[in-house]
Amino acid sequence: MADEAKTVSRREFLTGIGGAGAGLVLGGLLVKGIFLPPEVFAVPASGGFLLVDTKKCAGCDTCMLSCSMVHYGRVNPSLSRIQITKNPFGKFPYDMEQVQCRQCPYPACVDACPTGANHADPDTGVRMVDADKCVGCERCVNACPFTPSRMQWNFEDRHAQKCDLCADTPYWNKEGGAGGSQACIESCPMRAISFTNLTPIQDDYGYRVNLRNEHWGWLSLDTTDFGQESEFTLPTMPGAAAASH
Amino acid sequence: MGDVVLLGVRDILWFDTAGWLVWLMPFLGVLAAVASRRRDPFIEDGRVLRHDRPAMLSHWTHGVGTVVLLASGVALGFLFVPALVAGEEPTWHVMNVHFAGVLAFLFGTFYYGANTLLSGRLKEHLPHSLKGSLQDAVAHYRAVFTESEFPGEGKYFASEHLSYPMAAIGTLFMIVTGLFKVAAHSIDIPGSLMGVMTLTHDVVTIIMALFLLAHVIMGALVPWSWPLLRSMFTGFVSEDYVKHHHAGWYKQLTAKKSETDAPASPDVQEG
Repeated sequence: MADEAKTVSRREFLTGIGGAGAGLVLGGLLVKGIFLPPEVFAVPASGGFLLVDTKKCAGCDTCMLSCSMVHYGRVNPSLSRIQITKNPFGKFPYDMEQVQCRQCPYPACVDACPTGANHADPDTGVRMVDADKCVGCERCVNACPFTPSRMQWNFEDRHAQKCDLCADTPYWNKEGGAGGSQACIESCPMRAISFTNLTPIQDDYGYRVNLRNEHWGWLSLDTTDFGQESEFTLPTMPGAAAASH
Repeated sequence: MGDVVLLGVRDILWFDTAGWLVWLMPFLGVLAAVASRRRDPFIEDGRVLRHDRPAMLSHWTHGVGTVVLLASGVALGFLFVPALVAGEEPTWHVMNVHFAGVLAFLFGTFYYGANTLLSGRLKEHLPHSLKGSLQDAVAHYRAVFTESEFPGEGKYFASEHLSYPMAAIGTLFMIVTGLFKVAAHSIDIPGSLMGVMTLTHDVVTIIMALFLLAHVIMGALVPWSWPLLRSMFTGFVSEDYVKHHHAGWYKQLTAKKSETDAPASPDVQEG
């Protein structure tokens, strides 16, 4: 008696593939929904923060130009991660605002990102964007609690962007990041931008800093302001540069 | 405040809330093909069955999916093409349209692929030889424009044979790179790999757009293709059309018809 080998027809094979695949997808969905706990969002604190003092800002936009230059090799204020907004009808010091990323303790932009493109650097904690991983959904732009959003849409290269404290500056020969230099600070002629690796206390308005020296007082200008150093509550991170003001 | 905003955003982006559908569609396409019954072409009452229902379903789901994907993809911007939508909400809406296109495209493509495997019809799409197919394609279009004799072409023209492998490879690249982009919503994929995937996806978009353009022009806009376009809705072309444009296929069909029409008596078989 000849052995009749059991053969699998194409139809049977494809039925198996289709059934197994569909079962895997639906089963995985069920397992995820019922058995897996909800994801916990936790990121380390940023190792550095930009500080700005609007009273010192002259609105020259040098910081914007240098930011665009060191990141993209192009001088385009729209590509700058720090923005200077001006209100011609406002009165000093509310006629101008330096709009910088505050490296929030709870970075809503990082939490909103579906692909992990917007992330906290594992070494420095700086919130930054991996442009290659950005799918362009702009959720981060919407999630930023500040107005205008500190997450920006790079309309030229079509990805989200934000201040990375100059950690990724291919057009600059200086070491940036939480332990290095920042182009906006170095280029500001008014010394209206500074850096700290202490965590500022943030409220709904962000944090305000006095970067003025005693010369302002000689001119009878205000040298007392919110956000003095006493508001910085956390110690210096190891290896990071000391507060520069 | 942030949580409320995020909840709203998560609800509105289907790539996040219903991304599993993307993974389900290929398998649904395969299962649908297994459940389908194909009909071979036949001649009846002066008409020839060109497309059965599974062929029409796979064509239109794949085709509509492609059009939706291209339109929404172009609107979102790629390579050197600037985005036509600006702002968060318009972007989300277009991304959701892209998501719907992905579902239709994947279902249609895998339904077609599984159908083709099951019916063993892959061979009839492929070029017999590059040189021969090129010569036949030239002869065909010479006949179209000069009223000369059509070469005895089969069910598919030589130009269709030539473009089939390119379209298949383009579709394959589009699916693989697209699935990587969807997978990035669930797993951590290195940025360098995602950069390659996005660039490939964008380049293949141009190739697919050119294919679609050529397909729409040659398959729907030029007058001599109208009978075929009609058959994509009705399933049938006229026998005269097949005689004139697909002489080789008509020969096969009539041979097959005479085989099936012949009485199956032992005398006839022996004689």
